[in-house]
Amino acid sequence: MRDVIVIGAGGGGPVVAKELAAQGLDVLLLEAGPRNAHPRENWTTYEDDANNPLTGYLRWGPSDRSKPAWYREWPQNSFVWQLSGVGGTTQHFYGNYPRAYPGVFEGYDGADKSGYDVDHRFPFTYGEMVPYFEWVEATMPVMTAAMGHKEQTFFRGAETLGLPVQTTKTTHHPAYRPQENAILQPGGTAGKTADPKLLNHPQATGCTFCGYCFQGCMRPKGAPRNQFAKRSTDNSYVPMALTADVWARGGKPVTLVADAFVTRVHAEKKHGVLTATGVTWRSGDVEHREDAKVVVMSGGCTENPRLWMNSGLPNPNGWVGRGYTDHFFDWVFGVFDDYTGNPKGVGSSARLDYPPYGGLENVGLPPALAAFAGTLSDSGIRGQYKNGRGQTGPWDGPAGRVMGPELKEVLSHGIDHLLSVLVITDDDVEAQNRVTLSALPADENGPIPKVAFKQRQRTARTLRNREFMARKAAELLRGAGAKKVYRIDWAPLILHVQSSMRMGSSERNSVVDPTGETRAVKGLFIGDNSALSNGLGGPNPTLTSQALATRTAENIFKTYFGGDPWVRSSAPVVSTDPRISVRLGQLGL
Amino acid sequence: MARAGTLSRRAFLARVGILGAAVGSGGVLARSLLAPADAATNPLLPPAVDLIRPVLAELARDTMNGLTVFAMPGPDAYSRTQGTPSRTPGAIEAGATDFIINSLDNFVPFPDELAQPIGAALVTGLADSGIELPGLDVLPVQLHSLDKALAAYLESDEALPLSFPIAGLLNLMATQVNPLAVNGPHLSPFARLSYAEKAQAFELIEKTDADLVALLDVHFPEPLKDSVSGLLKFVGGALIEFATFGAYGESAVYDKVRRTLRKRPVGWTATGYQPDGPVEGWDDFIGYYQGRQEVHD
Repeated sequence: MRDVIVIGAGGGGPVVAKELAAQGLDVLLLEAGPRNAHPRENWTTYEDDANNPLTGYLRWGPSDRSKPAWYREWPQNSFVWQLSGVGGTTQHFYGNYPRAYPGVFEGYDGADKSGYDVDHRFPFTYGEMVPYFEWVEATMPVMTAAMGHKEQTFFRGAETLGLPVQTTKTTHHPAYRPQENAILQPGGTAGKTADPKLLNHPQATGCTFCGYCFQGCMRPKGAPRNQFAKRSTDNSYVPMALTADVWARGGKPVTLVADAFVTRVHAEKKHGVLTATGVTWRSGDVEHREDAKVVVMSGGCTENPRLWMNSGLPNPNGWVGRGYTDHFFDWVFGVFDDYTGNPKGVGSSARLDYPPYGGLENVGLPPALAAFAGTLSDSGIRGQYKNGRGQTGPWDGPAGRVMGPELKEVLSHGIDHLLSVLVITDDDVEAQNRVTLSALPADENGPIPKVAFKQRQRTARTLRNREFMARKAAELLRGAGAKKVYRIDWAPLILHVQSSMRMGSSERNSVVDPTGETRAVKGLFIGDNSALSNGLGGPNPTLTSQALATRTAENIFKTYFGGDPWVRSSAPVVSTDPRISVRLGQLGL
Repeated sequence: MARAGTLSRRAFLARVGILGAAVGSGGVLARSLLAPADAATNPLLPPAVDLIRPVLAELARDTMNGLTVFAMPGPDAYSRTQGTPSRTPGAIEAGATDFIINSLDNFVPFPDELAQPIGAALVTGLADSGIELPGLDVLPVQLHSLDKALAAYLESDEALPLSFPIAGLLNLMATQVNPLAVNGPHLSPFARLSYAEKAQAFELIEKTDADLVALLDVHFPEPLKDSVSGLLKFVGGALIEFATFGAYGESAVYDKVRRTLRKRPVGWTATGYQPDGPVEGWDDFIGYYQGRQEVHD
């Protein structure tokens, strides 16, 4: 009998696990995919080897790469980019850590208050969230991003839009700025040389500008795991969870089991109330079961609803799996005569926030991913067909795939003469965008999820916001000097995932109550992006998700273990702490 | 009636490319193999399944050649047929066809429970198109043998390579766009299309109310009907995205054992990506915007 079982070691689960381990609880952390404990032995820097969704080491599938990935059903042209493995999608993320906009929280009274998704706000105030933001920002740590040429190009364009520079953590109004990133700033020789002989730790510290965020961070070479530049959870929270005894007084190291796919959450009536009792997971063909006082689901926006339904848990208001938000991304890129620095440095180190519409960020991509990004469209193929869409605007020609001879011409101009802008939409929570169980055959882990996004029937506000931000992206690229600008009109590329098990104040349209506990099953909590109340207004979700998971961990400790909260009364330990490095070395990690 | 049935059957097999790939000029099979007299008298003749397997494999490869050059044209014959030849290496030189066939046949996690009926539907179901096709000179007896071989193949326990129904889909749409594509260079109708015609074929696949979707759904019981429709919409996009990812990626020259590249990938040369190979870092750090290294509320 454990104190707590956490399902999923992605962006959220390790946060709950680390925080409760620091309080001395006995925590079991289960991860469906591989451990990737020694990335220099398992990883490369190659796009297909890393990112191929079918075969790459960063995919949604079992550790054995000779076996097919786990499939799911998408009843539309779309791609849901899930990752298995310790670290989850933080393995390939860019470490962008902006805070959610204040306007998405209850009690917001700004002049633009009616411009947000007013029906689906967080059930508490922004002010209540700030200490949790600060706790995570100090733990990671989150730092102002260093600038490379692609950021310089982005800022050159942003400077033409008549917006101020944001110099605060909180976004109060439209503005642009360097990202606040969970990436260690470059130190020593990092960022100053391409000579590999000079880029070993500790001669180089922090980000070396290698450009391989999306292939997984294992730099600088020779650094302890918890001092790699990018603060994915496998480089930050997981090392802390595994070493809680050396940095937290009374801390107890978490037990981490990889290749453990949870197929069922058990619940039974206790004193007339349905209460979680434990979980069953599969390791290979062997089933295991353990019980716990508290179970935390952190499997992500697609797997949590699937696991809920496969466990036969009640869904009285029908909102399990509903209200999935994805920032309804779009992709706009410019071709430049000048060198842009794409694809060097952190995946993205510059952003523009535009509440209550959404935001923009620059993105550097290597060639195969750039080709993929240029051909994922809901608007057909430029110059050939429009699939009923093909919007026109301040970009060149209609929106659509840049394909075949045109794509070759664009990319042959030089991958480092492009600048790509990710268009991030403040999208509404909508019941129709959801996870259900698929009627297709089950896999070894049970019935599979079906992820439906009706991108053409989204709310008027969502559609308007996307068009607004796509125009801003094109204007920014023109201002930066692009000689040609393309808009792709992406089909749903679901990389930022939120709110499919949403927390809310109303029993009518939420799965989770304001403490993080599920309304239908006591002792069962949601600790990841799926518990977010909405799409945050557009900011990348990891910081807010981890802040919320920290708050939920406190609530678990208070409610089920009689403990006191700690965020307001103590100082966090930074995840790069040398005590953690030393213990990792002793553990062979 | 029998005559009409044979005709439409012939038209369908021609449209998915099987007839041409088997017995057209340059086809994989010697016509005599399909003559019933031989089957009766020659005990060395391979069983029907062995007969049809290489036909389908070659047809799939040829169709995928037509797809990958659509993603990235080069100096090859398929790009010339498409009308967009390029002097510099393209998808064929990048090994993108192997990439996509290997992905489809070995790694796309697509359940056999679906691949099998889709394949069967493509082969047995969609007969009457109403499209006049230029005649392929083939005898009813040969057609009958081919059909029997196909049926035996589909009924066998062997897992159907996904590249086969995908190729069938592309070829069916190709002949919808241009009925003349049943004949010509290469083995597959899709590979015979111009660039603009290939785009039209994808337009048909992407259309939400494609006739094809409706036709295929007929062959599936509830609750799978909607799933098949949705999957086809997904497949249309995924084929394009995967073909480009494969054409510009390193898979063809990657040594899995040594975890290094055997030579420089075509996509890297085309785009100028990391001229000296993988790095530990770059000298691209300029400084901090406006000199600001931290911010506070």
